[in-house]
Amino acid sequence: MVAIAVEKAVPVTVLTGYLGAGKTTLLNRILTYEHGQKVAVIVNEFGEVGIDNQLVIDTDEEIFEMNNGCICCTVRGDLIRIISNLMKRRDRFDHLVIETTGIADPAPVIQTFFVDDEVQTQAKLDAVVTVVDAKHIWQHWEAEEAVEQIAFADVVLLNKTDLVKASELDQLEQRIRSMNAIAKIYRTQNAQIEMNTLLGVNAFDLNNALQIDPEFLNETAHEHDETVGSMALVEEKPLDGEKLNDWLGTLLQKYGPDIFRMKGILNIAGNDNRLVFQGVHMIFDGRPDRLWKPGETRKSELVFIGRNLEQMNLAAQFQACIVTDNG
Amino acid sequence: MMSDYVTAIAWTPDNSRLAACSACGEVVLYDGKTGTPTVLQAAQGQSLDALSISHNGQFLATGGQAGILSIWEIQGQSPRLLAQLEHSRLWLDCLEWNPHHAELAFGLGRYVQVWDGLTQTVATTVHFEASSVLDLAWHPQGEYLAVSGNQSLKIWQRQQWDEDPQVLATGGASVAIAWATDGSYLASGNNDCSLLVWDRGCSDPWRMSGFSGKVRQIAWSTPTPKSKTPLIAAISGEDIVTWTKSTDPDIGWTAQILDSHEDKVTAIAFQPHSQLLASASEDTRIYLWHKAQQIAQILKGSSQGFSSLAWNSSGTALAAGGHQGEIFVWTESTQGKGFG
Repeated sequence: MVAIAVEKAVPVTVLTGYLGAGKTTLLNRILTYEHGQKVAVIVNEFGEVGIDNQLVIDTDEEIFEMNNGCICCTVRGDLIRIISNLMKRRDRFDHLVIETTGIADPAPVIQTFFVDDEVQTQAKLDAVVTVVDAKHIWQHWEAEEAVEQIAFADVVLLNKTDLVKASELDQLEQRIRSMNAIAKIYRTQNAQIEMNTLLGVNAFDLNNALQIDPEFLNETAHEHDETVGSMALVEEKPLDGEKLNDWLGTLLQKYGPDIFRMKGILNIAGNDNRLVFQGVHMIFDGRPDRLWKPGETRKSELVFIGRNLEQMNLAAQFQACIVTDNG
Repeated sequence: MMSDYVTAIAWTPDNSRLAACSACGEVVLYDGKTGTPTVLQAAQGQSLDALSISHNGQFLATGGQAGILSIWEIQGQSPRLLAQLEHSRLWLDCLEWNPHHAELAFGLGRYVQVWDGLTQTVATTVHFEASSVLDLAWHPQGEYLAVSGNQSLKIWQRQQWDEDPQVLATGGASVAIAWATDGSYLASGNNDCSLLVWDRGCSDPWRMSGFSGKVRQIAWSTPTPKSKTPLIAAISGEDIVTWTKSTDPDIGWTAQILDSHEDKVTAIAFQPHSQLLASASEDTRIYLWHKAQQIAQILKGSSQGFSSLAWNSSGTALAAGGHQGEIFVWTESTQGKGFG
């Protein structure tokens, strides 16, 4: 007999995107895709989805504040109720997809999976997927939700590429890359995409090393007219763990609401293991990872995605964490 | 035996029968002695999450994922379905009969409705407003209804439904509420890992924080001649925490953590008229805690874990439901036997 470890936590894909971007088309592709998986879908607007044998649940967005209205502690009460009830079934589903409304704030959805202990043991975030309408996104840059949906994403689908010129697409992709340095960007028509690039991404799994687009690091023509952006910090010299901890603690205390996502691999002085971490607003998760390999260049890489990052003095504060010879 | 997770179980007031519902929509009445099942509703696919039997044993109500409130008349030999109220887009997961009147309160999104067994109609609708209704509880004397949700608890007086409710602020979302058995205290378990207890005459609650997760269920012991002070038990994660109020006001409340379970605690219940506490867990064990302090007995039988618990009203039998649809009944001085 082979013992099979039962993975209790069901992977969850969060699907966001502005109205008309192609979310429903993508959702229907996920539902009809022959992957032999039973998918449950939570939607905010009942309508065009609904496939036999797949479970579609309709809900109204409900935001619960846990700590005097701090946005970092808001969760989606409707999702907690539904997931807790759903997980009691024996014929459980293999994957959960949450489709948010076009104007939904993605943060409470993501935070629900880290803050609520019951949900945390039963479901794990796989990835935040954002569908962008390549033609009409230009009209939506003013909308905070449209921008934040891109900023929080692990996967961005640049959809409706057939409706715009190649040069416009390049420009758009560059703009999205400057906002979000960690997302994988795919160009699609009719939301056509390989399902294995969309499901099973494990973007919130700390075992998955950070991947920063090298082009982003080399980028010189940074656009300064946007308030939402990414910043990557790379350093080969070892860091002082205590100083780093103090800095991040103070930073999140002060700027938590403006920092959407954070990811990093760190080279801490006196530690032969990599330290990996990630964060969503003020929720922070870090732990020692594998050993640095012999011959591997030990270096720290950190990415911040947020609003008004330049006022946080990130580069200088990060440099201040480097171990000095006399200290 | 049902075919999926037992979501709720309850005894009839005369202890002759046991009712249970499951995550695939079954409703079954079992004879308390023989275990003979009477199926009120076969598997539907969608889950049932709440079940309650009226004070006189006349009615049984269920609600669940399909948004259907079903009411059966279960007195006599052949139960019959009396009413089905359908609500689209709503998941009904809390309902409770008034302990003294044939009145059923149930949460309906952001509203609470009361169904009257005499007229067999919805007698009233009140608006909770702040969020969906997360839990509701009738006062033991049946004259007040407490309703909980995000940021607050609201207490309506029965038959004065149009009057503004009393509002008690909770800080976070109140996910579970329970009145002390004599109605002198009201407790709220919250999603910010805290427990609040109000003395009925006073609006400032006692607060206990630092739970390992949200507080999902609360139980009060019945005061006994020996111990008149209230004893409260709450579950959070894999822990049970008890809280006792000293008669000495300088000491106040004292907490004790019962952390023997090795997986999520799913349900707790005090034996009526005693301080024996039963706790069910996904770790496939039920513990009976003497004075809610020390393990007096371990009950087993479910391979995948226990999901629900119910003592009969005399405290002579304990029923439990399992993840696989199993129903167990243990009676005093007998070995556990599964039936159904």
